[in-house]
Amino acid sequence: MAQTDANIVVDHGRSSWSDLWTKEDYLAIWLGFFVIAVSLTAYFGFGPKEEFASKIEAASQIQSAEAAKAPFKTITWYNAEADKKKLKGTGTAFGKFVTHWTKHPGSWKSNPVDSLIRSEAQAKALNEKAMPAFEEAKGKAAAALAAAGQAEEAAAAAAFKDPALNDGAAAKIKNWQAAEKKAGAAKAKTTQKAYNYIPGLIGLCAFFIVIFGAGIVLMKKSFPDFAKGFVIVFLVAVLAYMLGGQAISKQYGFGAEAWGILLGMLVANSIGTPKWVLPACQVEFFIKTGLVLLGGEVLFGKILAIGIPGIFVAWVVTPIVLVCTFIFGQKVLKMESKTLNVVVSADMSVCGTSAAIAAAAACRAKKEELTLSIGLSLVFTAIMMIVMPAFIKAVGMPEILGGAWMGGTIDSTGAVAAAGAFLGEKAMYVAATIKMIQNVMIGVTAFCIALYWCMRVEKQAGKTVGAGEIWHRFPKFVLGFLAASILFSLLDSSLSKGMADALLDNGAVKGGTKLLRDWFFALSFAAIGLSTNFRELAKYFKGGKPLILYVCGQSFNMALTLTMAYIMFYLVFPEITARI
Amino acid sequence: MLQKIGKLAASLSVCLIFVYVFLPYLTESVDILNRMSQYLESNGIDPTRYYYTDVVQVKEAEDYLETVLDR
Repeated sequence: MAQTDANIVVDHGRSSWSDLWTKEDYLAIWLGFFVIAVSLTAYFGFGPKEEFASKIEAASQIQSAEAAKAPFKTITWYNAEADKKKLKGTGTAFGKFVTHWTKHPGSWKSNPVDSLIRSEAQAKALNEKAMPAFEEAKGKAAAALAAAGQAEEAAAAAAFKDPALNDGAAAKIKNWQAAEKKAGAAKAKTTQKAYNYIPGLIGLCAFFIVIFGAGIVLMKKSFPDFAKGFVIVFLVAVLAYMLGGQAISKQYGFGAEAWGILLGMLVANSIGTPKWVLPACQVEFFIKTGLVLLGGEVLFGKILAIGIPGIFVAWVVTPIVLVCTFIFGQKVLKMESKTLNVVVSADMSVCGTSAAIAAAAACRAKKEELTLSIGLSLVFTAIMMIVMPAFIKAVGMPEILGGAWMGGTIDSTGAVAAAGAFLGEKAMYVAATIKMIQNVMIGVTAFCIALYWCMRVEKQAGKTVGAGEIWHRFPKFVLGFLAASILFSLLDSSLSKGMADALLDNGAVKGGTKLLRDWFFALSFAAIGLSTNFRELAKYFKGGKPLILYVCGQSFNMALTLTMAYIMFYLVFPEITARI
Repeated sequence: MLQKIGKLAASLSVCLIFVYVFLPYLTESVDILNRMSQYLESNGIDPTRYYYTDVVQVKEAEDYLETVLDR
C-alpha cells in the first residue's frame, strides 16, 4: 500500500529492533531514564536512608504521642514536623554537587550581571541590609511562641477538656506558625552567599554536548556539527534565563521560556540563524527527554490532596473543557490545523506551558503551533493573574471558591500561586492544590492525544488500522513519560510521607531530574526560537482563530469551573470547606 | 549585514524597553500592580514557573491541607 503523506496512517507496520538505538523517541527515553537511574541510585542507594528513616520515625512517634494527648496540634508536634522538614536529600554531598553544577542564572533587579556573579562584599551588604528585618521577625516569632506556650499550658492544666482553652491554644499556635514562617523567610535573606555561575555553565554546556551528542551519533547525524551549533543554543538559553530572571519581567509571567523563544526568533528573523547552528536545534530531542524527566514529577497520589471536590474541579471539568474546545475548534471555527487546535485546547484547559509541550510532542505539532499556543497562554495568564483576584475581591466571592476557580482556570502554576496569595492565604492553598491536581493530568492527556492521533486523526479515510500500525506510529517517548510517572508514583506511595519528601521530592526530583528537565525545556525553547520564521508563524494565526479558540474555551472553562467549585465546595462537601 | 544587525538591535531594543521600562512604569503607576509586585517579592512567589514542583507555595498548600483535613 502506498504511503503518500507521512502524516497519514496506512497499515504497513514497520518497526525494527534498531529503532531502540537509532530513533529519537527511544533515545529520549534512555537518556531520561539514565538521569532517573543516577538520581534514584544516588539518593536511595548511597543516600542517608537509614539515618533519615530513624529520625523520621522518632519525630513521628513524638507526633503520635502529642496527637493522643491533645485535640489540637501542639507546639511539640510542630517542632517534630519541622525536624522532619529539615531532612533533605539535596543536603547530601551528591545533592550539593548536582545543584551546584546545574545552576542557571538567577534573579536580579537592576543589574543583569547579578544573575551570574555576586561578590563577597555584595553578599555581605545584602545580608547586613536584611538583618534588621530578620531580628524583628525573630523577636515576633519568639513572642508568638511564648504566647502559644502559655495558652497550651493553660489548656493542658484543664487536661485538654476545656474547648475554649483548646481553641485559644490552637489559635495562638497558628499565629506562632505564621510568625515562624515570616522569620524563616527573613532569615533566608540574611544567609546569602557569593557566587559565580560562569564556570558551572561552561561545564554544563560541555556535559550537555556529551549526553545529547551521544544521541546525535546514534541517530547517525554529525557530532561536530551538533557540538558547534549547540554552544549558540545554550548561550541563547542562558541569556533567556538572565532576562527572565528580572523581578518585573517575572511578575508578568515573562520568564526564561518566553525570552528563549523571543530571543531565538529575533535572531532568526533579523540576521538569520547561521546554518551551522541549525543542526543543534534538536527541539524534539530536548523536549522529549525533558518530558520523560517530567514524568517523575507526575505523581498520581497527589490527586487526593483536597479530596473529592478537588478531583471534580480538576479531573472532571478539565477533560470536558479540553474535548469541547477541540470539537468547537473543528466544527465551529473550522481550524485548518488539528494539531494547533489540540495544543491550544490542552494548554488552556490543563496547565499551560507544560501541557502544551506534552500535547504538541504527543501529536507531533509544528514548533510554530507550540510557540503560538504558549504565547497565547502567557498573555492570558498575565491578565487573569491580575484581574481574577481583583474581580473576586470586588464581588465578595468566598476565598475558597475564588481559590478553586483560579486554580482550575489560570494556566501556569506560579501565576495561580501569585493570584491566590493576592486573594488570601486560604485561597492560595486551595488554588495551588487544585492546580497541582490538574498538573498531574498531563500524563493522561499526552497518552490520550497520542492514541487518538494514531487511531483516528492520522488514519486514512475508510481504512482500519491494526494494532501493529498503532504501535508503529505511537510516539514512544510518551511511554517513557508514563513509565517514569508510574515508577515515581509507586515509590511515593510505598514510602512514608517523611521519607518521600526527604528522598524523593527533595532528593531524586529537586536534586536530580527537575534540574535537568528545567534546562532541557529552556534549550528546546531557545531552539524553537532559532528555527522559527515569523511568516510561518503568522500563517497559523490566520483569521485570529487560535485567539478566538482560546477565548471561547477559556470562557467555557471559567463558567464550568466556577459552577463545579460551588457545587463541590459549598453544596456537596461543605464540611471540607469549613475545615479549610 | 549591517542592516540586518540594525534590525536585530532595533527589535531587541523594543522588547527590552517594553519589559524593563514600560512594565516597571506601569507597575509603579497602577496601585494594584504595585501592591502585587511587592507582595510577590516579599513572599518569594515566581509567576513564571509553570509546573507544581517548581513552586514552593504548592508544597506549603499541600502540608496545610494535610494538617487541617487530617489526611
